[in-house]
Amino acid sequence: MTVADTVVAGGLTVGDFLLYAAAGFVVLALGMTYRAIRGPTMQDRVLAVNVLGTNTVVILALLGAGLGEPTFLDIAIVYALLNFLMAIAISKFTVERGGVL
Amino acid sequence: MGVTPVADGIVVPVERTATLRATVGHAAAEAAEAGADALHFVYLAAWRDDDPHVERLRQDATDLLEQVAVWAEYDLEDANAPDLRIETAILGTDAYLFGPGQYAERLHEYADANELGTVLLDPEYTPVGNTALLQPMEFELSSTGLTVREAPVDRPSRRERIVSELTGLRFGAVFALSLLFYFVLGDPTYPFDFVTGVASAAIVAITLSQVTLDHDPTLETPKRIVRGAVYVPVLLWEILKSNVVVARVILSPSLPIEPTTTRMRVLVGSGLPLTTLANSITLTPGTLTVRASDEDLIVHTLIPWAREGLFEGSLERWTRLIFYGREAARLPTPKERGDCDVLQGPDATADLPFAETDGGERVEDAAESKSEVTDE
Amino acid sequence: MEPLTTVRVALIAVFTLLGLFFTFVSMTGVIRLPDVYSRAHTASQADTLGAGFALAAVALTVGLAGSGFKSVLLLFFIFVTNPTAAHAIARAAFEDGNVPWTEGDERR
Repeated sequence: MTVADTVVAGGLTVGDFLLYAAAGFVVLALGMTYRAIRGPTMQDRVLAVNVLGTNTVVILALLGAGLGEPTFLDIAIVYALLNFLMAIAISKFTVERGGVL
Repeated sequence: MGVTPVADGIVVPVERTATLRATVGHAAAEAAEAGADALHFVYLAAWRDDDPHVERLRQDATDLLEQVAVWAEYDLEDANAPDLRIETAILGTDAYLFGPGQYAERLHEYADANELGTVLLDPEYTPVGNTALLQPMEFELSSTGLTVREAPVDRPSRRERIVSELTGLRFGAVFALSLLFYFVLGDPTYPFDFVTGVASAAIVAITLSQVTLDHDPTLETPKRIVRGAVYVPVLLWEILKSNVVVARVILSPSLPIEPTTTRMRVLVGSGLPLTTLANSITLTPGTLTVRASDEDLIVHTLIPWAREGLFEGSLERWTRLIFYGREAARLPTPKERGDCDVLQGPDATADLPFAETDGGERVEDAAESKSEVTDE
Repeated sequence: MEPLTTVRVALIAVFTLLGLFFTFVSMTGVIRLPDVYSRAHTASQADTLGAGFALAAVALTVGLAGSGFKSVLLLFFIFVTNPTAAHAIARAAFEDGNVPWTEGDERR
């Protein structure tokens, strides 16, 4: 029996708990989407999308642990790498307009 | 942009490189052939006149320019143009030059003032040393109306410019690191993972080991890693502590923030030490590094509490401890050194340096300004 | 339940809740704060800490022997890259000539 299957209280396992937490993170992500849409500057949007990306990584990891799918963690790693590249590339590009990266 | 120069004088920025002699020779030949009326050699200084140890640098630059002038005279005599004017100058000593844009700008000003129409570049010319500046500088110069040419001289080695030297140690370090990363993700006891791991680590090391490290790992490296490991829990504790403070500020209905931009001159080397410090400052809530140009950090602070903590300089001391050892960590706080400025609000002691962010000079009075904050 | 498992489950619960709390702080900050610089504060810091706690909970659940190590790796990676990204964004804003908000300015 793994830790994820341990019952915490009232039939709720640790896995379930993590899934609920993931749901909570999704709700918080929705809140951040407001900033991504509202802006007003380009940097605000990049920032919001970057935060959303970090959130996605966390949600992926929580889902991986909650559902017992360790491969989700690999996807989370790739997502984290891409998220970082996205933020750096866009902020570089908005300043130098495609100049030297 | 000024008036496009019409005269066909040639200006050559110089720096001690392996191809300097050949470039001078080429410049002299070209000037003689085109019947140019002046040949200028300039040295773009990365230092400022009021820096310490500046005499040595200036002497070095002067020596170099004299040497170049001698070579050029000799070559001009060979090319039957002995009366062509040779002039030398040191540029950019009134401010630190940072990006390629600033180098290009100084060169352009000089060319305009002396009515020179052509810039001849040494293909190995890299004023800052390890940074790849030539191509971006050529790009900047191409928009000024000057004719820009690279001297067609043979390079001693065919290396790319962004790339540093390849040594066994660097190759080994990058190989080991990437192999370790692969094995952490995969399973080294499974033959397939083992073979693919070695193969991809080899590919990474072959392609990237010259870019990743710009000097060999030394005995100092493991020491730094150990000291860094000590720093991690300290940093985590700082982060946790100040996160709670900032969380309270953000969640309180009245939102009692007093955001202010500050400037702090820090005493850590460029590269990894500065990155570590800037990232630590950013990670500690309430402070955010907005810009780092050499030893000047522009830090945005959210609440006065965080600002005080920043000026106490504990993160700076930790960074010095990691990279330079325990003795180096004992130094006065930035506040005591007078190395901090508030740039906004009622306590402002200097202006927001927007002028210098896009290639201008640094605010002149920033260094001398005496402030309420720094005088305490 | 063994005592060790109890401690572990309790830590998982605490870390997950702390992660949720700090991410909530981060979200509130990103929505409430007046300009891109102050938003970058919470985006880089509260969010990093929130993600850190959540990933620590994941590592505890999965167990360090297996894939939990990846979670630790991820945690480390986020701790290094998040402030760097926030710095890059703030720098971009600064070089765009975005004046930091001070008391008395209009909210943006």
